[in-house]
Amino acid sequence: MALIEMNSICKNYKNIGFETRVLKNVRLHIEEGDYVSIMGPSGAGKSTLMAIMGCLSQPTSGEYILDGQEVGKLNDRKLSRVRNEKIGFVFQAFHLLPGVTALENVTLPLIYARQSPRGIKEKARALLTKVGMEHRLHHTAGQLSGGEQQRVTIARSLINSPRLILADEPTGNLDSKNGRETMQTFDNLVKEGTTIVLITHALEVAQHARRIISIHDGQIVSDSDREEKTEARVL
Amino acid sequence: MRIFKNFGQALRGLRLNRASTFLMTLGVMIGITSLTVIVAIGHGVKTEVLDRITNMGFGPESFSIIAGEGRMFFTRSKNTTSMTLEDAENLLALPTVQLVVPRQRKRLRIINKKEFTNTRVYGVTPDWQLARNWKMKDGDFLSDSDMNQKRRAVVLGATPTRKLFKDADPIGKMVRLQNNFYEVIGLLEEKGLTESGYDPDDRALIPLTTSMSRLTHATHLHSIKVVTFYPSQVPATMENVRQILRRNHSLSVLAADDFRFITPESIMQWVTESEQALNRMLILISTVSLLVGGIVIMNILLVSIRERVREIGIRRCFGARRSDITLQFLFESVMVSLLGGIMGIGLGLAISFGLQRFDIFPTHITAEPFILSFLFCTLVGLVFGIHPARKAAFLSPEESIRAQ
Ligand SMILES: Nc1ncnc2c1ncn2[C@@H]1O[C@H](COP(=O)(O)OP(=O)(O)O)[C@@H](O)[C@H]1O
Ligand SMILES: [Mg+2]
Repeated sequence: MALIEMNSICKNYKNIGFETRVLKNVRLHIEEGDYVSIMGPSGAGKSTLMAIMGCLSQPTSGEYILDGQEVGKLNDRKLSRVRNEKIGFVFQAFHLLPGVTALENVTLPLIYARQSPRGIKEKARALLTKVGMEHRLHHTAGQLSGGEQQRVTIARSLINSPRLILADEPTGNLDSKNGRETMQTFDNLVKEGTTIVLITHALEVAQHARRIISIHDGQIVSDSDREEKTEARVL
Repeated sequence: MRIFKNFGQALRGLRLNRASTFLMTLGVMIGITSLTVIVAIGHGVKTEVLDRITNMGFGPESFSIIAGEGRMFFTRSKNTTSMTLEDAENLLALPTVQLVVPRQRKRLRIINKKEFTNTRVYGVTPDWQLARNWKMKDGDFLSDSDMNQKRRAVVLGATPTRKLFKDADPIGKMVRLQNNFYEVIGLLEEKGLTESGYDPDDRALIPLTTSMSRLTHATHLHSIKVVTFYPSQVPATMENVRQILRRNHSLSVLAADDFRFITPESIMQWVTESEQALNRMLILISTVSLLVGGIVIMNILLVSIRERVREIGIRRCFGARRSDITLQFLFESVMVSLLGGIMGIGLGLAISFGLQRFDIFPTHITAEPFILSFLFCTLVGLVFGIHPARKAAFLSPEESIRAQ
């Protein structure tokens, strides 16, 4: 069974007077443990697609099944729980809470967890060590460099041991060295069995993934998996 | 548990946004300050008045007549020179009257060699001691012969005694009032300060006749205390007294009384009326100021939420429910309101203390403003916090993280 199953997803934004059609009939299945990158020019609808995948917004029409649950039928409580337990977000702009230490930022998802397991602090510390941030535990977001902030957000996205990591242009604000390190972390996570969906418009970043999907103007225009299949059929 | 965590996040939010936290407290603080001060003044006046009643030594069978038009002893009055010793003698002739104590009073400096102090000097008749039932600590009270001879004799209360004589024995010593020397013939037993800080022992008594000829140089009385035989005789006696005084003072039918009655009941009635007026004012001021305080909180919180859209979005991404966000901001508004309340009580207490200390108003601190403030502030926080809190909770998570 696929972890993510999207069938004819459309998303329109209604504004005063007009409606923007951002996603048009997107069909997308992603297997558990896969490493997928989504490519496309700015404004193609990548972030919109990720918001729907991450249960941050509902599609205007279509069906989205995440881990066997039909997301459209979930209420706010259940959606929040799905986000809390199954998904870890990494953003281009980091999105750390300002004025709060790295350690506390990492434990943020646990505030909203159903039960907070013992040894939260130890786990957060271990994750920060894993991303090489053990020397900056008590720095606030403003006191960290971009690369350091991104490492904290990765630790945060992992604290609840999610099945799915959604990363929206995680290297977009980083220099090439930090970008490489971030991608290294993702590569390792996939080896541990985490599913990763990575949004990017840089090909060398996208090539870390096993599968590359291109979207353009709200539609999937190419999918490396499908091409393989067609190639296989041709052969 | 979740609720405690949201509470913790609210505390953190207030700490991180100190400027708006402070601004939010101001409205409520002013409201609670005025509430605290008004309640303190209300209780202070009441305690002082009740103290005065006890200090006047009222039994249920007695009442006082004070010279001059008006009500009670608070209003400044006119026509204060019409009551005489003759009036007092006429009143004593009434069959229901047991004792009559005519009185003059003046605040004066009293001097013993190099020591001096200001005290209330009263010219009274020997019956004063009976009417007040005030025991002597030493020596004798003023006598009829002291009255007849206009003797320069004085009976001292405990406070001037202490200030003028320290440990020495005052009996038989001479003290000076204006240009005359008076022999100390007796000392009153000490009563001690009342609850509101009024000192009943701060007084000196001389014969009324001496007071007329040497202190006030006038024959009119400042007050007369009338003691009947039984409490039930008081109303009728008051009516008779009124007729006698009006006739003696040749008041026309239309003219107002040029004297005032003071009874424990009339004082209590006055206290009740003023209390009600004060309570109405209290309700009005607290409502208006807490409404203003609440609106201040609501608006600043709305602005603050607009600035914190990203934070809200991040929380939502990592599992915060709408109810978590609502609770967080509701806690923020309630705590900010309570904080304003605490500051208001602090300021209110300081002002009340100052008013009392510098003799501007009597004040008295009770638990009431604390309880009232706690209730009001919680209510204000909830009522004015719910709208911003829900607004924050219903922001779309997607749009919140897109926001810059
Ligand atoms: N709330 C909104 N209202 C109207 N249009 C929107 C809204 N959010 C995004 N869009 C539009 O949707 C399109 C896709 O946006 P987005 O998914 O952010 O693109 P990408 O991430 O691929 O750059 C853009 O043209 C953008 O202007
Ligand atoms: Mg985008």
